[in-house]
Amino acid sequence: MSTKLNEFDKNMMAAAFAEAGEHETARQMMDSGGGATAKKPKKNKGALVVKTLIFGAISLGMYYILFSNVDWVTTEYTKGGWHTVYPVGTALAFSFIHGAFASNFLSLIGIEPKGGH
Amino acid sequence: MKRLVIALAVMLACCLAATTVLAGGGGPPKNLVKGFFIKINPDNTAVFKKDVTGEEMILKLPEDIKPEDVPMNRKVLVTLKTIDHEITNEVKRISIMFINLPPSKVVALLVVGLIGGLLSGFIGSGGAFVLTPSMMSLGVPGAVAVASNMCHKFPKAMVGAYKRWKYGQADVKLGLVMAASAIIGVQIGIQIQKYILDHWGNAGSNLYVSLMFVIILVVVGTYVFYDAYKLSKGGKEAETTKLALALQKINLPPMIHFKQANIRISLWFTLPVGVATGMLAATIAVGGFIGVPGLIYVIGASAVVASATELVIAFVMGMWGSIQWGLSGLIDIRLTLLILAASLFGVQLGALGTTYVKDYMIKIVMGAVMLIVSVSRGAKIPGYLADLGLREPLAPQAVALYDAISFWALVTALGAAGIIITVAMIRGMLQAKAEERKKEAISHG
Repeated sequence: MSTKLNEFDKNMMAAAFAEAGEHETARQMMDSGGGATAKKPKKNKGALVVKTLIFGAISLGMYYILFSNVDWVTTEYTKGGWHTVYPVGTALAFSFIHGAFASNFLSLIGIEPKGGH
Repeated sequence: MKRLVIALAVMLACCLAATTVLAGGGGPPKNLVKGFFIKINPDNTAVFKKDVTGEEMILKLPEDIKPEDVPMNRKVLVTLKTIDHEITNEVKRISIMFINLPPSKVVALLVVGLIGGLLSGFIGSGGAFVLTPSMMSLGVPGAVAVASNMCHKFPKAMVGAYKRWKYGQADVKLGLVMAASAIIGVQIGIQIQKYILDHWGNAGSNLYVSLMFVIILVVVGTYVFYDAYKLSKGGKEAETTKLALALQKINLPPMIHFKQANIRISLWFTLPVGVATGMLAATIAVGGFIGVPGLIYVIGASAVVASATELVIAFVMGMWGSIQWGLSGLIDIRLTLLILAASLFGVQLGALGTTYVKDYMIKIVMGAVMLIVSVSRGAKIPGYLADLGLREPLAPQAVALYDAISFWALVTALGAAGIIITVAMIRGMLQAKAEERKKEAISHG
């Protein structure tokens, strides 16, 4: 919220300079803002790589653990009754971790929603 | 007020789910037992040990199942014969519960999962109608295929709903209200199914499901497709239908304001759409095929909001269904997770694809899928009519032909949807990039 307010203030100041005929100053003010936002994705990209790697590793680890204990899993998960917690909980946990990995991975390779939500 | 309505909707959903679980409605058929064969007797009977309870049963083997064909000490699902709706101890079918998963089957599950997810993220539903038959064609027993698919559906819908909520498309309140009424619809749907099963048996039930599928899909699909075609030709933005506008004007308390969908409508008009969604979900397993058009043409939501909101409904109903199937221990988590591995990518791709396309594109994909899938189901009808004795039995070549039509129509539906969504998305992305470059050029120039 505060960054939005700052941006609003800056834009209004730039508009004031522009109206007063100080086009160069206004442009510089806007450019400095643009520069900050232009740098942001770079900074984000590093974080994105880390996030993708972390979630990817956890997801892979979870798949490995589950499939290497497949006999135990298939027996315990299909006992019915309260054991229903196992498959439902596992599906939820995988969707959080693997879903986060998929989301970060897609952003990393540049597939993002229109307007960059 | 907003919180109160959400809380009420959640409570209603939970209460209904709890009562249904306790009442044992839905879920797997009662003539299905799970466990191990431990001994074959010389008199063509076998000792069967039920899973979990450990209770032993003597089951009679039919003539077409030889004693050496009975899998020993391997978890199986046994379908028992029923005579006059009474379950006998004679075996009708034995299916291995956990199929072997060679790499080819793993790849097949991943591919179907990816396209199913793409479809789900884009039009709010779909996937189920193709995932269950695909899994069955890989050798998964029907009940396990339904259960495992259901268990993958709700987390996928959750991720899709979250994404589309972030894009400002999903109306969570509308989704919860619809889901609560859809659960009532499921109950009604199950009762109708039971009635038909009791009176006309399995063949009657199959015929009813297929007929409903074809009639609803052809009628609704044609309308959706026609509407999308009109919009794409005219280049106009979608308008709220006259029916929705008229209903929104009727002040019948309780009136609810759905902020995201930007609609104020009486609860009494959202209820029938929700109930119909649930009924269809209980009948043909794809409630979204009526839910999304209902939200668009009756409630007055845009196609983007309707398809996003359907994901919220799919999450609530899928979770409730998974718990029911899980209580019977029929979920094969390996299948669930393999489909999820790819469908979580698909659903997010589909969801972000909606931000690049015009509203009518969602309707085009939905209408096209509905119409092609109806061909797939329609091809099954002659066989069911023959089973009921309403027409002469089919020749083996005809059975093979109808099966091939049914299978390839499903593949076409899935392939066509995948291609339309991908092309629309890539085109939208390129357009957005070109616009961005243009803007940059103007600002620098």
